[in-house]
Amino acid sequence: MTPQFVMDGLIAGAMIGLGAIGVTLTYSILRFANFAHGELLSWGAYLAMAISGTIGMVSTTLLKPIAPFSFGWSLPIATVLAILLTGLLALAVDALLFGRLRRRGSAVIILVMASFGASLALRSLLEFIFTSKPAYFTKALQIAIKLGGGLRATPDQLLSLGMTLIAVIAVHLLMTRTSIGRSMRAVSENPALAGIAGVDVRKMIRVVWFLGAALACIAGIMTGLLVQIRPYLGHDLLLPLFAAAILGGIGSVPGAMLAGLIVGLSEALAVQLVGAEWRAAVSFVILVIVLLVRPRGLFGRAA
Amino acid sequence: MTGLVTTTPALETRALVAGYEPDLPIVRGVDLSVAPGELLVVLGPNGAGKSTFVKAIAGVAPIHGGSVTLAGRDITDVPAHRKITQGLAFVPQTENIFATLSIHENLQLAAAVLPKPVRPDRIRALYDRFPDLAIAPSRLAGALSGGQRQMLAVARALIVDPPLIILDEPSAGLSPKIVSEVFEMLQRINATGVTVILVEQNVKAALKIASRAVILVEGQIRHEGAATALLDDPILAKLYLGTGHARNHSREAELP
Amino acid sequence: MSLDLLAYGAFFLTMALTYAIMCLGLNIQWGQTGLFNVGIAAFVAIGAYVSAVLTTPETPDRLGGFDLPIAVGWLGAVLVAGLAAWLVGALTIRLRSDYLAIATFGVAVSVQLCVLNIQPLTGGAFGIGFIPRPFGGLAASPLAFSLANLALTAVVVLGLYLALEHLAKSPWGRVLRAIREDEIAAQALGKRPIRFRLQAFAIGGAIMGLAGAVQGHFIGFIAPDNYLPILTFQVWAMLIVGGSGNNRGAILGAILVWGLWALTAAAVSAFVPPEQQARASSFQIVAIGVGLCLILLLRPRGIIGEGRSPIAGRIKPKSEE
Repeated sequence: MTPQFVMDGLIAGAMIGLGAIGVTLTYSILRFANFAHGELLSWGAYLAMAISGTIGMVSTTLLKPIAPFSFGWSLPIATVLAILLTGLLALAVDALLFGRLRRRGSAVIILVMASFGASLALRSLLEFIFTSKPAYFTKALQIAIKLGGGLRATPDQLLSLGMTLIAVIAVHLLMTRTSIGRSMRAVSENPALAGIAGVDVRKMIRVVWFLGAALACIAGIMTGLLVQIRPYLGHDLLLPLFAAAILGGIGSVPGAMLAGLIVGLSEALAVQLVGAEWRAAVSFVILVIVLLVRPRGLFGRAA
Repeated sequence: MTGLVTTTPALETRALVAGYEPDLPIVRGVDLSVAPGELLVVLGPNGAGKSTFVKAIAGVAPIHGGSVTLAGRDITDVPAHRKITQGLAFVPQTENIFATLSIHENLQLAAAVLPKPVRPDRIRALYDRFPDLAIAPSRLAGALSGGQRQMLAVARALIVDPPLIILDEPSAGLSPKIVSEVFEMLQRINATGVTVILVEQNVKAALKIASRAVILVEGQIRHEGAATALLDDPILAKLYLGTGHARNHSREAELP
Repeated sequence: MSLDLLAYGAFFLTMALTYAIMCLGLNIQWGQTGLFNVGIAAFVAIGAYVSAVLTTPETPDRLGGFDLPIAVGWLGAVLVAGLAAWLVGALTIRLRSDYLAIATFGVAVSVQLCVLNIQPLTGGAFGIGFIPRPFGGLAASPLAFSLANLALTAVVVLGLYLALEHLAKSPWGRVLRAIREDEIAAQALGKRPIRFRLQAFAIGGAIMGLAGAVQGHFIGFIAPDNYLPILTFQVWAMLIVGGSGNNRGAILGAILVWGLWALTAAAVSAFVPPEQQARASSFQIVAIGVGLCLILLLRPRGIIGEGRSPIAGRIKPKSEE
């Protein structure tokens, strides 16, 4: 067993953690498991690819890789736009579907079911537009850098780890130090009381959709950059995202990130010990263990 | 009360109908006028609709008919989160603080409806008024005792200096000693000119501090009058012993 | 020609009826108990593989092939799928309602991995072939074979339908309904909601397993590709179109949706140029997804059925005083 699995696990875990923060925030405020969250990752990646491609058609200099990375300026620009568009997509789905069901007072499980239908439609729409053929942001190849201790990573991978760290700290500060974060935590604990205390609950729901979608978009773009872009990109990550969100404790940002890393590292370890074909079962095993031993997760509050 | 007729009521409901299902209203046409500076207590047997009545006024229970006016402004359709800025503060019966936020965060959250520059001063003023809360402001509110929780809930509601505060059974679950502390606090708040509306089960204690009382039965006002006069009125015993209404009470009490 | 058409009709209807069995299983979980199962494909797959392993002739490169009678295979399918559902339910039913959904989603992923990777038992990606078909002796005459199978499947569906209707009217069914309408009142009467829910979930899973076995034996071979998430979606669409809570609706919905699916698939392969076919079939799935959401928004009680469903949105009164 080479120590490289630690690096692989960290990178996979960073992407899972970032996505799981979105799941945990939307879950804690919207109060249902959103099966369409994975599709926000996929849509983020495809939107960034389409925008980056369009930028490249206008100016080829923006496609020239920024050393030492594999991509040109078109990708960072596209990322910003894709974050906005993914956020708008989530708001649109909420306005058309979830918001209406919520106002009608539908049971949690109806919302779960609607998210299931939305996930199906959104994923197949990507397949319809882009086909199921894998796509890539760039064709440039990267050489892994030796980091010592037997670890290697490409500059893209290191950049993704750094970006994840920045994003996690930013979200954590937003939740703990700002008025918006306080309001979000209040809504997550008791929406009715939050309303009485003057918090505009509907606005907070829009904020959390946008935030969750933005994080999903970043996670999707990173997955696309480090692996490949497929319509099933998000769907295949959904179980790890749920497992991480529940393991971390619903509503806990640091919990989701830590749990994401645990899931990623366990997957990498399983690939080493059991074989790559069993990777997808790791999240399920973790989920079962959490539900058996501590259903509220590492940092969750008791139900 | 005749002298107050010409002044604008602090709160007025007209033919208010409210409840969770439109075809099964719990509040069935309530006309109530509260003069500025009153300390009004709303009494009534279990399931009479007292709680739904004040929740409807606060915007957390659906209104199906009638109107609510606050100091002359119609607030019937104003969403719950805007009522606090209009000067109506509401303290629910249970879960009336954010247990996962610190004491200070509870107050900061409530202060967010105020302009930024005045927030720290208002919070400081409340700490002066409720010194118990100032002892450890960074403690999680969930760790507070029952009486302290009630203090924090009231402090939270008072942050905007509202002309009217409505409390849903502030004495529920508290020991008699704490109840009298809470009621003294309400009297002090009332003495500063704030109109107070109180839903209570603790009839005797509430009538001692109230200026006026109304009795709700089956979603309608059955009786109203000066609090002191009501203390000895046999109607109280009759309503609370439930003669003639027992069947209805038990049915409503079973609602989940 | 007309005989061929008749044989095809019988084939189509038999397939539709195997879906109807799954739909009946889902109906007891969702329609009657309000439990959301996102892993239907997993329970169907378990049933199909268990029955296939039990009944196929011994095969050198694969474990088993026990050559047992088909009826034993079906029984095994029911038991193992039911047990799997019971385990998943026992793990999650006492938790939040959507944890069950997440767990069943995980089961679907894991079962798919198992059938792909435990090659010595499941044949891996190639699946299992030579599954004995009921009335295999009639294979020389396609029409007689198809009709005999149709009759058998119809008998299974009818039997299940009657049994489930009986169950719904039995004291057990009444308790289940009481729990769904008012859990707290039911608890007060001394009924333990969790136990009843768990039983309903296990029975539903067992029925899905039976559906998998019946379908596997009818087609004669099975492979992991038959049990992708799309199967789960299809069964959901069937139940929602039929109106959940209603067994007749479940059967009708299965036939209707399977008919629509087969028809549009046939239209796609007939009229769409080959290079665009993948695209067209993804559009078909977009339509199902959007349709599902539209029904939830517009006709929460289903299109055909009038069964009482937990779908109808109702604000639960918060504790009043």
